[in-house]
This record gives sequence, C-alpha cells and structure tokens, in this order.
Amino acid sequence: MELGQHRYMPVLSFPWRRAAPPLPSEPAPSVEQADSPMFAAVFEAIPDAVLVVRREGTAPAKIVASNVAARETLRIRADEEQLVSVLRHPEVLGSVEDTLNTGEGNELRYDSGGLRPQMLRVWVRSLPMPQTAMIVLRDETEARRVERMRVDFLANASHELRTPLASLSGFIETLQGHAKEDPEARDRFLDIMSSQAKRMSRLIDDLLSLSRIERNEHVPPSGVCDLSLAAREAADGLLPTIAAKTARIELLAPPPGEALALGERDQISQVIQNLLDNAVKYSPDGASLSMRVESDVAFDTDAAGADVAALRDSGGGRLTLLSPERGHENRYVRLRVADHGRGIAREHLPRLTERFYRVPGQKSGEIPGTGLGLAIVKHIVNRHRGALIVESAPGHGTAFSVYFPMHEPEQTSVRGVTKAL
Amino acid sequence: MMTEHTLKFFEEELSQLKADVVRMGGLAERQVVEAVRAVAERDVAVAEAVVVMDEQLDTLQHEIERCAIRLIALRQPVAHDLRRAVGALKLSLVLERAGDYAKNIAKRALVIGQSDPEIPLTRSVQRMGELVASRLKEALDAYSAGDVKSAKSVWNRDEDIDEHYNSLFRELLTYMMGDPHMITACAHLLFVAKNLERIGDYATSVAEIVQYEIAGEEFADPRPKWSGVEPRPSEASE
Ligand SMILES: Nc1ncnc2c1ncn2[C@@H]1O[C@H](COP(=O)(O)OP(=O)(O)OP(=O)(O)O)[C@@H](O)[C@H]1O
Ligand SMILES: [Mg+2]
Repeated sequence: MELGQHRYMPVLSFPWRRAAPPLPSEPAPSVEQADSPMFAAVFEAIPDAVLVVRREGTAPAKIVASNVAARETLRIRADEEQLVSVLRHPEVLGSVEDTLNTGEGNELRYDSGGLRPQMLRVWVRSLPMPQTAMIVLRDETEARRVERMRVDFLANASHELRTPLASLSGFIETLQGHAKEDPEARDRFLDIMSSQAKRMSRLIDDLLSLSRIERNEHVPPSGVCDLSLAAREAADGLLPTIAAKTARIELLAPPPGEALALGERDQISQVIQNLLDNAVKYSPDGASLSMRVESDVAFDTDAAGADVAALRDSGGGRLTLLSPERGHENRYVRLRVADHGRGIAREHLPRLTERFYRVPGQKSGEIPGTGLGLAIVKHIVNRHRGALIVESAPGHGTAFSVYFPMHEPEQTSVRGVTKAL
Repeated sequence: MMTEHTLKFFEEELSQLKADVVRMGGLAERQVVEAVRAVAERDVAVAEAVVVMDEQLDTLQHEIERCAIRLIALRQPVAHDLRRAVGALKLSLVLERAGDYAKNIAKRALVIGQSDPEIPLTRSVQRMGELVASRLKEALDAYSAGDVKSAKSVWNRDEDIDEHYNSLFRELLTYMMGDPHMITACAHLLFVAKNLERIGDYATSVAEIVQYEIAGEEFADPRPKWSGVEPRPSEASE
C-alpha cells in the first residue's frame, strides 16, 4: 500500500546502480543519489513500457510501479492493480509466473488483438527483491507492419497488373502481326492499349497510396480539418464529371468553422472524394446526390438515417463497416453521402472495404474501377479513430456515413453545443 | 457482523475471483484468435494447441465455480458483492462455452486443412473471426475495467457479426453448388462461421453480465435477443 502510492518506486535499488563502475572524474553515485528524483524521472521517461510486479504469498502478481509508457499502453488506472487486469495474455502471464518462480528471465512476442492490433515484444526479468519482477514491453507494431505491407504490396501489384499487362502484350503481338497493315484496327487497338496503360498507372497510384496510408495507420493524425469546406471542395472538384452526367448535387453543411474534425485535411478530403466518386459513378445519368455535414453528434448506429427494416425489405441493409473503440465517449462530426443509384445487396455489404472487392454481376468494363476506393476510406477512417456505416438497398440507392472525432475550439465550445442538429 | 479484518479478506477473495475470471477470459480470447488462425493458415499445429488450451480453460472454470460457490455459502454476501460473485460464476460458464466453440473450430480446421482444392473463402472467415475476437476483447476489457458504458456499446452492436455470417453463408452455398468436391470442406467452414457467430453472442452475454454485476439490472432496451448460458432452442442439436 505504501509503495503503491508512488507511480515509480524510489525505494527500489536496481541492480545496475550497484554494478556501475565509479567514473574516474566523479565519485560513484551514492545510494541516496540513486534513489534521487533523477532516477525516478528517468524511469518515467523510458519510451518502452516498464512495469514492476510483485507477488505476495499465493495472491496474483500486482503492479507496484509503472512508467508513463506502461500506463498509456496498458491503460493502467490505479496503483496496486492486479497484473491480470491490464494484461491477460496467457503466455505473458505464464512467463511472469515462471520468472517469479525460477528467477530466470523470459522473452516473448505478443499480439494485443483487437481492431488495431499491436505487436509487442516482452522481456521479463527477475529483480533482487523477493517475488519481484520487471516487465518491459516494446511496441514492434511499426516494424512488422512495414514488413507485412511490403509483402502485401508486391503480391497485390503483381496479381492485379498481370491481367492488363497480358492484354497489352496480346495487342502488341497482333499489331506486329496481321494487324500491321490495317490502319483501322491499329487505331482501335491503340485506343484500348492506352486505356489499359492508364488503368495500370492508376492502379499503381492507388496501391501506393493505400500502402502509405496503411503504414501510418498507427500514428495518430494531427491537425484540424473543416469538414464543411472539405466537402465543398470535393464537390467542386467533381463538377466536370457531375456536369457530364447532368447529376445534381445538394450540399448541406454548417457554416465554415463549425464542423471541425480532428485529422489530416488531405486524408479526409480523399475520403470524401472516394465516397463522392462512387456516388456519382454508380448512379444513373441525371440522378441527384446529397452530401450532409453535421457537427457535434454521438456515434450511434441508429441515428445514421434510413430505416433498417425498410432497407431489409428491399434486399439491402445497414452495416457498420468500422466502429471506433469506446466510441460512446466521444463527440463526432459526421458526413453522409447519399445517392439514388443502383444500390448494393445486403450480402455484399460486409466485403465492400476489402481490397479489390467489387460487387459481382456488374459487367466489368461497364464501370471502371479497381475496388480500392473504399479500402482506402476504411484505412484513413480507422487511423482517425472514426466510424464508417453503409446503408443501401438495391434499386433505391446507397448512403455512406463517416464519423471523425470532433475538434472543439476552446472558446466556442458552448456555441458548439447549442447548435447541435 | 463482519469485522474489518474479514471485510478486507472478503474483498481480497472477490478480487481474486475476478482476476481468475479475467485470466480465463484471456485464455478464451487466445483460443478464438488461434482457432481462426488455424483455419486461415491451414496450420495443424496451431489447431492442436487450441484443443489443448481448452483443458486449461475447463480446469480454471471448475476452480472459479468452486471458489464462487464457497464464497457465497460461507460469506453470504448481499447486493453488489453477491452480484460480483454470481457474475464471476456466470462469466466462467459463458467463457467455457466460448472456449468449446473455439475448440470445435480448431477441430474443423484440421479437416479443412486437408481439403483440396483450397477454398478461396478463408479470408472472409478470417475477417469475421477478427471481428468476433475484437468484440470479445472489448467485452472483457469492460469487465476488467468495470465499465458499463463500454459494455453497453458492445451489447448494442452485434448485428454486424450476423451480417458477416449471412454473407459468408451465401458465398459458401454458391461454392458448394458450383463444385461438389468442395461440399465437405465448405460445410465445415459453414460450421466454423456458425461457431464464430455464437462466440459473438457470448461476447454480448459477457457485456450483459457486466451490466448486471455493476448496475444490478439488465440493459433497458427491449431486444429479441438470446441471452444466457443455455443454447438457443433452435440450435440445441448439431
Ligand atoms: N455508391 C455506391 N453505389 C453502388 N455501389 C457502390 C457504391 N459505392 C461502392 N459500391 C460498390 O462497392 C465496390 C467497391 O467500391 P470501391 O470504391 O472500393 O471500388 P471501385 O469504385 O470499384 O474502384 P475504385 O478503386 O476506382 O474506387 C464497387 O465496385 C461497387 O460495386
Ligand atoms: Mg470507388
């Protein structure tokens, strides 16, 4: 109890303090110095998560000290907490027991699971106090993620490029052979070849951007993005396409400065653009679309819009494609892109954000696309700790709602509450 | 009348009980994750490890049950303390069931691993597995933190698991109709999906027990949802 009131343990004398050879110029640190605030500060500042656990009698091991990194990674709430309540991975618990029993150190890797899994490397070392051990956890998510990404990227790129490449070589062969003297065929083939080449280069762009986004997925975004402005810009950017389809687009948004999302402007713009691009692409000519921005909303699957029973009746449904952990604690800004296009049948909803997934049955070539747009959306939204919900019914239309954590400007927070829709 | 000393002792027993339940939860979680991995990566060794893990889970369940009953009988707790003890007991049963389903998945993984040609659907199963595992994780986090709000948010959204199940179900049917050689393996995969769906239901039960333990009542909204430890009537067979 006495020890537990400290976040660090000044009374612990770590073995390396004793072992430190005296420096020639200065006297060796005395025990008092070793227990000084400096050591406490060093302990706190270590970037790896460090825990000291102790077992008394047969009771389960308790945490007697932890540094900032440990308290953040493991969400340690109180002092004197049982180890198992913050770390319940059986193998980690096993090695801690093992070290406490035998005094021998252990090392292992562990995967936190969950939607944003963290890969941690764990060291358990016995300390020279009775029944006491130190646990160090190092986050290796980044390194392993990069590794996996490279493998995925190569696999995806080679797989997806094979088809257009094969068709290109086919056309080249034909042009070299019997189509050589046929100007009409040659022109037609060159057209197809050029569109294949464009497709390939767009594919590579998309894959690169997906891979970049994935790589940063664990780094919390910084900055503030005005969702109203971003939505307007995205709509303006698509004007040429929209005009060509004579579609109408309706934008409903609070005035600038009132719907602020915590996040990176470029990425949020890309989300809006991909959703809007789909809405236009999968709608018939002349159809109208709507975009609606709202500020200060709770994450609530039921408030998203359409009536689920009605959607189900027409073969569609609503599905949360991504939900934030502990989403009920936050306020959000929401963007909803709705169209009156072909819609998506219920059974396809769970796979929409999968890479390269395109709803089958739409004749390929009819509407070009690579199936990466929504995968990119999902990764960006996940990085922002946001949410993504789809509602759709075949023949009626589709709506995607994205939630981003809200930025509350310090002075205007009162205004923010009163103007909730 | 309990003396201060017995009170402290009693509190320790209760938190020990909770620690055991959380430890059991950690095991069950692991079992689910590994069972799904066994299916996705066709890994026989992993599948066998899951089956072994289940024995640990059973042992722990008996231990928790014994302690909870002893605690209730000897100390006759009331109100919140009683709910903590009963909650631990209920949770141990739920987690044990979840572990059984994970074991069942692992056993099927052994068969699916032998199937030839490979079924191109293991990715969908994996995604559903990840979803279920993360739901279980959230529910257990809520229990270990005593956080009713998080529990409620788990309880509120189990529909997406059903959606994944339905979508997978259709896909598997398509494969089975397309190629009779796939029928056996697909049928096993179908049960894997069904088992995952049930484990998802157990995550919801965990959330319900957290609410019961802390607030002493069930979640308010009416919900045509199976809850509790017994199998749903329609699924009692298999
Ligand atoms: N608004 C929508 N209406 C109907 N179907 C949609 C809509 N948005 C997405 N889809 C379906 O989801 C699939 C995946 O969408 P996604 O944006 O990921 O890929 P894409 O549009 O095919 O290609 P791209 O990578 O160029 O965006 C689409 O192929 C389409 O079948
Ligand atoms: Mg798209």
